Amino acid sequence: MSSPFDINGGACIAMVGKDCVAIACDLRLGMQALTVSNNFPKIFNYGPSTFLGLTGLATDVSTVSDLFRYKVNMYRLREERNIAPQTLANLVSSSLYEKRFGPFFVSPVIAGINSTTGKPFICGFDSIGCIDFAKDFIVSGTASEQLFGTCEGLWEPDLSAEDLFETISQALLSAVDRDALSGWGAQVYIIEKDKVTKRLLKGRQD
Amino acid sequence: MTTLTGQPSSEAIGYSFSKATSAPIREHSFYPYTDNGGSTLGITGSDFAILAGDTRSVAGYNINSRYAPKVFKIGGDDETGEGAHILLSVVGFAADGQALKERLDAVVKMYKYQHGKPMSVMACAQRLSTIFYQKRFFPYYVHAILAGLDEDGKGALYSYDPVGSYEREQCRAAGSAASLIMPFLDNQVNFKNQYIPGSGEGHALEPKKPEPLPRNTVEQLVRDAFTSAVERHIEVGDGLQMMVITKGGIEEIYYPLKKD
Repeated sequence: MSSPFDINGGACIAMVGKDCVAIACDLRLGMQALTVSNNFPKIFNYGPSTFLGLTGLATDVSTVSDLFRYKVNMYRLREERNIAPQTLANLVSSSLYEKRFGPFFVSPVIAGINSTTGKPFICGFDSIGCIDFAKDFIVSGTASEQLFGTCEGLWEPDLSAEDLFETISQALLSAVDRDALSGWGAQVYIIEKDKVTKRLLKGRQD
Repeated sequence: MTTLTGQPSSEAIGYSFSKATSAPIREHSFYPYTDNGGSTLGITGSDFAILAGDTRSVAGYNINSRYAPKVFKIGGDDETGEGAHILLSVVGFAADGQALKERLDAVVKMYKYQHGKPMSVMACAQRLSTIFYQKRFFPYYVHAILAGLDEDGKGALYSYDPVGSYEREQCRAAGSAASLIMPFLDNQVNFKNQYIPGSGEGHALEPKKPEPLPRNTVEQLVRDAFTSAVERHIEVGDGLQMMVITKGGIEEIYYPLKKD
C-alpha cells in the first residue's frame, strides 16, 4: 500500500460506443486514507475531441498533464492542426518511455474520435508507455479491479451515446463505491462527432 | 556435480579456493497455507438461495484441477448429500476448506441425532462462527458463505471472514475475483447507484428499492458474473458449479466456463 500509485487514489475509464466514446474519472484526492480534496478531476482536454485521463501519483498527474499541454501546443503551432488521438497516444508512449528508469507514476487513458476518419479511439498505457489498444474499454487507477468487473459485466457492443453514458456512469460509480481510495463524485465526458457533453455526477460522499 | 578439479562441491563452480571452510547455515521453513484461488458467489431470493463457485484449483500459475468443487451440501444422510438442507461454500486454502466442511457436516449431523430435528440455518450460522473463532490463532484460511432457507422459508445467506466474523446478506462474492464481482452485484442485485427516472430533481431523486429477484434472473446474473470474472482473472475458470436450495430440496447445476 506504499506504492506511489496507491497514495492519492483515483479511478478512470474509457469506453467505446457506436460512433461515440466516453471517458470518466472520479474526483477524490487523498493522502493514504485521509481525503484532502473532493474536486480533483483527472481528465484533460488536448483537442476538440481528444481527451487524456491520468490516475496515479497526484504530483505526476499534474506534471504530466502540464507537460502534454506544452507538447500538444507545440505540435499545434508546428502542424497548424489539432492532434489526433492516435498521434497523442504515440506522443504519450514515447514521452513516458523517455523516463524508462525513473518513470512518472501514472496510468494514462486516452479517448477520442479521429476527425479525419470519424472513428472512435481509446487506449491505455502502463507507466513506461506500453500501449494497450482495446476495442471495448480501458480502466485505470486504484479501483481498476472493481472497474474490470463492472465494465466486463455491463458493457456491450454498439451502445448509443445515451446508453454509453448510463453504462460508463454505472460502471464507475459502482466500482468506486467498493474502493476506499476512489469516489467523492465523478466527471463524465461523452464524445460524439462534433459534440462533447460533460456531466458531473454526485455519487456517494464517503 | 562434476567440476574441473573432479571434486564434488555444493557450489556451482568448483574451484578449490572457492570452497567454504565450514558448512553454510541453511534455514528451513514451512508455511502451512497455500492459496488455491477461485471464486464463490451467493445470492438469495424470496424462496430460494443460490451458492456458486468455479471449479478450478490452482497453485501459483499451475492448475491442480479443473473440477474441484467449492460448494458443499451440509448435513446430508450419506456421501451424496441426500437430505441436506444447508449449503456451504469455501474459497482460499482448499485443504482448510475441506476440513471445515467435514467438521460442519459432522456437527450438523450430531445436532440432528441429539435433538431429533434438523439444525436451523440461523443456528448453523452461529455454530460456524464459533468453529472459526476456536481456531483464532491458527485460522482456517478460507472465506466461507453459508446458504439455506430461514424459518419463514426465505432465502438466507451468511458470509464469514477467516476468524468467524459473520453477517446475513442478500448477496456476497468471495475469493480471488471478489473485487471484480462484488461491485457488479451491488449494482444488479441491490440496485446501488440506480434511481427511478423522473422521480425528482437532485437530492429528491428516489433511489431504486432493492427487491428479491426471480430465480431465472439470479441464475443469469451468476453466470454473467462468472463469465466476466473468467475474462479478467487467471485463477477463475474451467467450470461453474451452482447449487440452488428451495423448499423442494437442493438442485446442482454445472455450466462449463473457458478453460484457458
